[in-house]
Amino acid sequence: MSKFSKGKKRKDPAISTAALPDIVFMLLFFFMVTTVFKEKESNKLEIDKVAIKSTIDLEKNIKAAYFWIGRVPGTTDDFRVQLDDDLVNDYSEIKDYLVKLKKNPEFSQVWNNRFFNVFKVDQKTEMRIVRKVHDELKEAEAFKVVYSVNKEK
Amino acid sequence: MAKRDIEEINAGSMADIAFLLLIFFLITTTMNLPQVQEERLPQKSEVEFLLNERNVLQIMANKNDKIGIEGEFAKMEDIKDAVKEFYVHDEGTPNQPNYDTLVTIERCKKRLENLQIALAAYPDAAVYKIDEGIWTRRLNACNALIGSGNKGEFSVLPANATVSIQMDNSTKYITYMKVLDQIMQGLNELRNDYSIEKFGIPFSKLNDKVESDKEKIIAIRQVYPKKIMKEKNRSVQ
Repeated sequence: MSKFSKGKKRKDPAISTAALPDIVFMLLFFFMVTTVFKEKESNKLEIDKVAIKSTIDLEKNIKAAYFWIGRVPGTTDDFRVQLDDDLVNDYSEIKDYLVKLKKNPEFSQVWNNRFFNVFKVDQKTEMRIVRKVHDELKEAEAFKVVYSVNKEK
Repeated sequence: MAKRDIEEINAGSMADIAFLLLIFFLITTTMNLPQVQEERLPQKSEVEFLLNERNVLQIMANKNDKIGIEGEFAKMEDIKDAVKEFYVHDEGTPNQPNYDTLVTIERCKKRLENLQIALAAYPDAAVYKIDEGIWTRRLNACNALIGSGNKGEFSVLPANATVSIQMDNSTKYITYMKVLDQIMQGLNELRNDYSIEKFGIPFSKLNDKVESDKEKIIAIRQVYPKKIMKEKNRSVQ
């Protein structure tokens, strides 16, 4: 009787998912590119970094020993040195550590050009502590030092 | 009238859009490298150098983080100008170093020839080898500076002219960094000006990954070398 057919239900076309991989890849690449690997931070000391104007970029692909000098959390004037993962109790440990490091062929090959001692030092640290560390570095013949700083605008 | 089916959306161009965005972000995003200040520790030596008073720009900081330049109290900002004057001043200015030599290509070549003769006689003499290195670098610098109307010559400070930093044991690290910063700012300004004058491009814009720029960087570093010496631990009044 009627011209309208009731039985036939209209089917929605399936939404194409062909573009989904593209979107996912795009996001993936975006995060790959924009991610800055967090700088290695001290887990044992509080460090308030210095901000200066004349900074340079740290070279890529370097071998490094990391030194932190800062306050033990909860104290106001207990400045300590941390070398890689552990607090230094006696300064001569620094020399021993570096001499051991130098025996590793991965480090000894680049010792004079691509090996750096990366310092992250609290602003209020007294120079005597920095000096003592320097003296140990000289003993171990590791002369290249860089101080990690914030860029002042 | 027949009911029309909704057509499937063509997703073929979606990939293009995605790639376009991807490439856009790839190009515009830059990674931030950690910012550092460099220092090279001196070789361990017991030898005390005897320095001519006028060849040294002495910068001091006492235990209260007060700055002194050449023995007079000064402000932190004054260091920059003191450093610039130390490197560039009229010949014969009192209390500033006399320029050592005017480095020219002829002089470099002659010096190198003499050194070759000396090295042939004493092949193990370290002094000659160091000298040979210095003059080879200077010759390269002259060659890089030549062209575009430049004669390829520059004057240098004497080898023992140096900026000396003296810190008290109780001086704070921030003071030391600020002093280093001021010295480098002064030096960078001189290098920038010189680079603009000679090559028409600031020193900081030169890219050390490009071969021709690298020569320029090395040349400018020869003209304005970083000369910083740290003095032994002592207490500063």
